[in-house]
Amino acid sequence: MSLMDKFAHIAALRPANKREIPRSTAADASLEHDRLAQMLGAQVRRNHYGEHLSLQQWYATPEICIPDARSLALLLPQAPEADALLASAADPEKWLFLDTETTGLAGGTGTYPFLVGIAWWVAGGLQVEQFFMRDLDEEHSMLLELSERMAERPVLVTFNGKSFDWPLLETRYRMTRTISCTTPAVHLDLLHPARRIWRLRLGSVRLKELERRVLGDGDRALEWSRDDDIDSSLIPQMYFDYLRGGPVEPLAGVIRHNQMDLRGLAALAGKILALFDSGNGLPDSADHGSYDPIDLFGVSRMLLRGGNSNRARELHESALRSGLPLQVEQLAQKDLATLAKRELDYVRANSHWEQLRQPSNGANPKNNAMTQETQRTLEVAIEAAEQLAMYYEHHAKQPQRGIKLVNTAIAELRDAKSVGGITAARAAKIEARLTRRLSRLTLRRAKKISSNRSEGVGLAIDASFDIPIDRSKVRAGKKI
Amino acid sequence: MSQSLATQFATDAMTLARVREIVEQLAARDRSGEMLTAVHHIPAREAKFAPMPEWVRTELADAYGEKGVSELYTHQAAAAQAVRAGRNAVVVTPTASGKTLCYNLPILNAVLENSDTRALYLFPTKALAQDQLAELHDLSARLDHRFGVFTYDGDTASDARKAIRERGHIVLSNPDMLHTGILPHHTRWQRLFENLRYVVLDELHTYRGVFGSHLANVLRRLRRIARFYGSDPQFICSSATIANPGELASRLVEKEFEVIEENGAPAGEKFVVFYNPPVVNRFLGIRRSYINETSRVAQEFLKLNLQTIVFANSRLHTEVLLTYLRHANPMPPGQPPAIRGYRGGYLPGERREIEQGLRAGRIRGVVSTNALELGIDVGSLDATIMAGYPGTIASTWQRAGRAGRRSGSSCAVLVASSAPLDQYIVQHPDYFFGRSPEHAFVQPDNLEILVNHLKCAAFELPIAADESFGGVDVPELCERLSEAGFLHRTGDHWHWTQEAYPADAVSLRSVTSDNFVIVDITQGADVIGEVDFSSALTTVHPKAIYLHQGQQFHVEGLDFEERKAYVKRVDVDYFTDAIRYTQVRVLETAATERIEASSTDAHAARTHGDVLVRSQVVGFKKIKFFTNENVGSGKLELPENEMHTTAFWLTLERPLVESLQFSLSDRQSGMFGLLHALESIATLLLMCDARDLGTAIGERPPSPGSEIEWEEAPSIEALSQLAEKEFFEPNLYLYDAYPGGIGFSEPLYRAHQLLLTKTRELIAGCACENGCPSCVGPVGERGERAKEAALEILARLGA
Repeated sequence: MSLMDKFAHIAALRPANKREIPRSTAADASLEHDRLAQMLGAQVRRNHYGEHLSLQQWYATPEICIPDARSLALLLPQAPEADALLASAADPEKWLFLDTETTGLAGGTGTYPFLVGIAWWVAGGLQVEQFFMRDLDEEHSMLLELSERMAERPVLVTFNGKSFDWPLLETRYRMTRTISCTTPAVHLDLLHPARRIWRLRLGSVRLKELERRVLGDGDRALEWSRDDDIDSSLIPQMYFDYLRGGPVEPLAGVIRHNQMDLRGLAALAGKILALFDSGNGLPDSADHGSYDPIDLFGVSRMLLRGGNSNRARELHESALRSGLPLQVEQLAQKDLATLAKRELDYVRANSHWEQLRQPSNGANPKNNAMTQETQRTLEVAIEAAEQLAMYYEHHAKQPQRGIKLVNTAIAELRDAKSVGGITAARAAKIEARLTRRLSRLTLRRAKKISSNRSEGVGLAIDASFDIPIDRSKVRAGKKI
Repeated sequence: MSQSLATQFATDAMTLARVREIVEQLAARDRSGEMLTAVHHIPAREAKFAPMPEWVRTELADAYGEKGVSELYTHQAAAAQAVRAGRNAVVVTPTASGKTLCYNLPILNAVLENSDTRALYLFPTKALAQDQLAELHDLSARLDHRFGVFTYDGDTASDARKAIRERGHIVLSNPDMLHTGILPHHTRWQRLFENLRYVVLDELHTYRGVFGSHLANVLRRLRRIARFYGSDPQFICSSATIANPGELASRLVEKEFEVIEENGAPAGEKFVVFYNPPVVNRFLGIRRSYINETSRVAQEFLKLNLQTIVFANSRLHTEVLLTYLRHANPMPPGQPPAIRGYRGGYLPGERREIEQGLRAGRIRGVVSTNALELGIDVGSLDATIMAGYPGTIASTWQRAGRAGRRSGSSCAVLVASSAPLDQYIVQHPDYFFGRSPEHAFVQPDNLEILVNHLKCAAFELPIAADESFGGVDVPELCERLSEAGFLHRTGDHWHWTQEAYPADAVSLRSVTSDNFVIVDITQGADVIGEVDFSSALTTVHPKAIYLHQGQQFHVEGLDFEERKAYVKRVDVDYFTDAIRYTQVRVLETAATERIEASSTDAHAARTHGDVLVRSQVVGFKKIKFFTNENVGSGKLELPENEMHTTAFWLTLERPLVESLQFSLSDRQSGMFGLLHALESIATLLLMCDARDLGTAIGERPPSPGSEIEWEEAPSIEALSQLAEKEFFEPNLYLYDAYPGGIGFSEPLYRAHQLLLTKTRELIAGCACENGCPSCVGPVGERGERAKEAALEILARLGA
């Protein structure tokens, strides 16, 4: 039997996609390559490893932003070397924005970054340069040039680059076995601060979403439009089609997409730093009024994480005053309570926990089917009860008040469970925790009674107890 | 003698007495003298020592010395020496003979000499790697933590992975993780690959058939990546006793191997007993149910408080036996059961808990699938009872080795089922106790498997035009893959051009990487286990009774799209058995030859080639517990499964069929009976698992590749009448139950004379009168003269 026939039945050889694979129509691939360069207005770059394309374009917007050191510090990890990192990152002219377009999102050694876009501030605006592999063997020359660019500007700025673009590039450099990669001095990945600031308000923090709802919001619209942007999930297939001799035109869309991503990234950096400036209360910063209170609250939480608790308290309180949605308000109250507790200011802490105990409109589990929100509201209220109970147990020495609170919390939990306001597994876990707290409190109360009894007082309180004392536990407790 | 040793000695002596007592009891019950076909006594064996080689560094020798190892067994010394000399070695050792030292000693020595040295250990299961970790941790602690050892598998926390890649001198993993987790990300493992000097393959004999053929290709990829980083590792393998360990290692690794076979380790005395359940109806050749008998034998051991492991050959039987033994050993309410089940579908935490319970003696009995066959440390048990022949002699010895691993007296009982192979083994003890006749077989150039790994290889590193990969024309295959859209040629290299990650789509263990999740919806929705795609159709079809930890579940629904089976707890007195309908279409013949029988005209042919197999589960039977009565059946409408594979087949031409002086029904029965026996002997010759081969009878097509219309799968009622429909010129197919074939067909074609002769021996030598499950199949499902007819056909075929 012929080998060809044998192949016909191999499932592993069946076409990957149902769609037609384009066939090259051009007689000569190098002519196609020239056509591509012309169409894109790109130059051919040559080095020891071969050739690739380079496209350059300068944009007046977004405009350069000069970072304030205090704001910049919020973008850096809290590490011993933070000061050194801060010094390296302070000069915006050393920043290099980077975004790649790849043949897939799976990562691993078989994913190629066929388009690497970089950008830097120059002449008050943004210089964008894009390296493009006309074929997969142009990767090495491209990587060499990229490495040179990175050496000039060692502060890497990306959006999700820490988990995607940079590890992918590192893999590519290792695959060359010869070209060493320039490790950036600092890598600012804006995805993480963007999440902290905008997830509360927007849910999604995809760059496109941020451009639409944050960067292009208000009177200063962006100077580019995503209206005719390509669907980014199609990018790998567009490149594969091109490789197999398909038309070059769709690639123009990919290149434009990458340009917009880079400009969006640069604009985002400016926006985040401006918000931080405002959060830090810098004199030149825009008035709080021009920012959404939820965004400012997000910034405030970052300040809190960064250890600037005084400023965070101010901002949290001002955010609360300007009115926050229920879920965000709960977060703010909880943050403030925790902060006050850490500072041993129990009066203040208790007032915030008490706030969280207040029944609010949307939070009655009896009237609501289980949603994540009702469940969270319930859990926060229960946590507040526990915190207050802890206060009565340890500091106020009024265990019976604590017992009452915990019992109320248990009742709330059971009510919620009976109407499906919380999952059974979660409720069981919380109830176990509450029960432990209750037995601790009960013990403490018993101790207190026995000491009171020996002093001949306090027996009358006994009748008002709403749960019977577990005698076995009392005895066990005494031994300890 | 210290107190504890004295106690140990006394315990051993008591165990010995109790084991002998049971063996004697079994023998006494065997009045006919037919039940115990072998009582094989293996006397205790003395250790044979060799000195610690002088090249072993003092600190390492001291570390082993602290553990009580100051001398080596002879096989350990020979293995260490071979590795030291730079040779690839395969060590053939029974259970508990200190095989890990064979590779740990030379490898740790190399690490201590040069701390850049790296080694990769591959175990067939995650559990085995976990088990080895403890031993290596202990050594590491004794050596001031001068080497790092880690397991790297699906359970490894992602934050620990980076440290493992950088600091792990020895990485313990499994082929699946190498395939999907390490090779596709080799740049992260740069340090390992640049310094990779040793690769250890433990339990080599498990890498045969499908799994072995996959592994051979994963190793091709491994060596390719190692070359990229400038290393060429040495391979050290350990294997249970098989006939061709060196050949298997060479086939898998594609390098030369030194075989170290002489075992210097001591062992306690052991009885190996073959137990053939008594015949209850000689006319029909019916024996007592081997499952029931296994339960009875196991009960004898449990009664005398001997810790016992029972092996069953299927998940179903594990659960059935568990039910029986729990029934016989009730615990007071609230107490955890002393008899536990153990198999693949259980969740890892549950399994760890059972292993610990066995070591601590808390659990007195365990019923397991082959999951406990390999070296998981469950301590030394007193007895192994096997419900049915495990399929290979190597497996049987390994299972037997779970009892009495270290010292003392132990017993292993093989309870034969009426399956032909079981009967052949228990009635030919010499075949079993003699030198191993078993050859492990792999087909690394199975195109289906190879092409999948070629894709993975391209993902890992572009394929150069002058590269070789197995015995295929690499450029030609790469061109095909380019046409299919997977690769793209640029200059001298083919690059991967798909978004998907190819390793994810390739499972090393089964036809597809699909698993069905079992969801218990009795209360809420809890995932209780999973089954692979191919067994899902037969075990979790709608209305099936699925058993998990002795608990019965009724399958409420099977969601094909979502790969989920929804089950509810029930308590019924039956289990279910699926009924399949299979059709075969010949695609093309590779070779064909007429069979020339001496006395008659040649009216038969043998062929091997490519076929398309379509099978469908059309219904199920309900079978009552304890009595095995058929208590009902049900119809099913499940999607059919189509597979392209290779097959060997016999064609009986019209004159031969007509010349058989039997009624139509007997003639048909003879054919089905012959095929039944042929399959049994084929699995024996090929050393493969019964599930690796499928059988079917179909009308010979006019010519290969001709478009035969698939028939609608018949109803269950019609299925039983189907045997009555006369075949004009039937083809008797033995096909490889794996897409692309696993290379069994060609050897069967070559060995057909042996196949027919042995088949004749099996049928003619069977004690039954008119056919029984041990030869041509159960008489109830065959015509009365099936056995005679089958022998007559064989005679016409010259056997």
